[in-house]
Amino acid sequence: MEVTILVQATYKSFQMLDEARDKATQILDTAARLTSETQALHRKRIEAIFTGAKQTKVQLSRFIATFIILFGFWLFMSGHYDVFHISIGVLCCAVVSHVSHNLLFANPRAGDMRVIVKRFITYIPWLLYQIVLSNFHVAYLALGPKRLLDPKIIKFKSKLESDISMVTLANSITLTPGTITVDVKDGIYYVHAVSKKVAEDLMTGEMEDRIAHIFMEADHVYVQDVFDMAPIFVELK
Amino acid sequence: MTIKRTVNMTKQSDDVIVKTLSRLLIPFMQIYALYVIAHGHYSPGGGFQGGVILGASLILLAITYGLDNALRMMSERLNTILCSLGVFIYAGIGLLCIMLGGNYLDYGALDKILHVDIAHARSLGILGIETGVGIAVMAVMASIFLDISTGGLPSTKERDQSD
Repeated sequence: MEVTILVQATYKSFQMLDEARDKATQILDTAARLTSETQALHRKRIEAIFTGAKQTKVQLSRFIATFIILFGFWLFMSGHYDVFHISIGVLCCAVVSHVSHNLLFANPRAGDMRVIVKRFITYIPWLLYQIVLSNFHVAYLALGPKRLLDPKIIKFKSKLESDISMVTLANSITLTPGTITVDVKDGIYYVHAVSKKVAEDLMTGEMEDRIAHIFMEADHVYVQDVFDMAPIFVELK
Repeated sequence: MTIKRTVNMTKQSDDVIVKTLSRLLIPFMQIYALYVIAHGHYSPGGGFQGGVILGASLILLAITYGLDNALRMMSERLNTILCSLGVFIYAGIGLLCIMLGGNYLDYGALDKILHVDIAHARSLGILGIETGVGIAVMAVMASIFLDISTGGLPSTKERDQSD
């Protein structure tokens, strides 16, 4: 009798131990799961903070750049440099750059803005020179024999990549007398040229090379690059 | 009954030249419009002209980047609020002048609350009026264009929500 009770008691104690162990493992599991979940949540939150901070930083830099450009434009237009008008100007520039800070710098590319601006300024005199040259040519076409006139639409594929460089090329072509950009579709230019010489000048692609050089695109191997790099090599020596 | 749109104004333009140049121009148009409004009491221009230029910049955005992008910048709700806010500023300044003992829109009476001399108070009063006119004109121009381009139908976003 006593033996049976003893056996039953041991059995029950073992059962209780098993239950206790199961419960303990369950609790540990939930605890581990909870910690992993909280860790994942925590990590996600930190990542969100970091990406948010990055985006905010980009937005802020765009906002400040737009603000500076617009405020310069405002000071250029406004002739009144007293406290009242300048404070109105700051307010207006802040409103406009808040509304449209993603328009002026819609797709920024990796590339030094200062280099682009400098190269663009050096490009303008060359463009003016080309405009003067083709002015003389078009005047000669107007006054000279009629057989020289040979209007046609030429089509070429451009190697330029960004929208701003494509627009610069299209507008440079239109600015030069004798050629007009009719359409740009998927990097293919349709240009109306008034004579054979004008079309050949365009097809040499010098203008395109120079614009690719300004915006640092495509395979812009160009003499100016060597000149730009020269001071660095001197420093290295 | 469904009305078919003959011209789809909600689509983006696919011309890279038009899109890029309008993207670069719109901020300058807006700052020029605000300049015209703010210097209306010194030089030609004023509330109406500035408001029209401001409305034109929104219309240019709607033409080149599609109606949805323009509505993201200026929703129809905000447009309605601004529309009535402009009129409220105008009428409010006018009534404030009556309350201060002058006639309707008699800006000279504003010197009692602005603490400046009468000539300066008139100048500031005109500036306030022109701000109101500019806001109202801009909102009305934009809403006229929105109504014409959608044919009076609700915009695509609202239609999707109601379906």
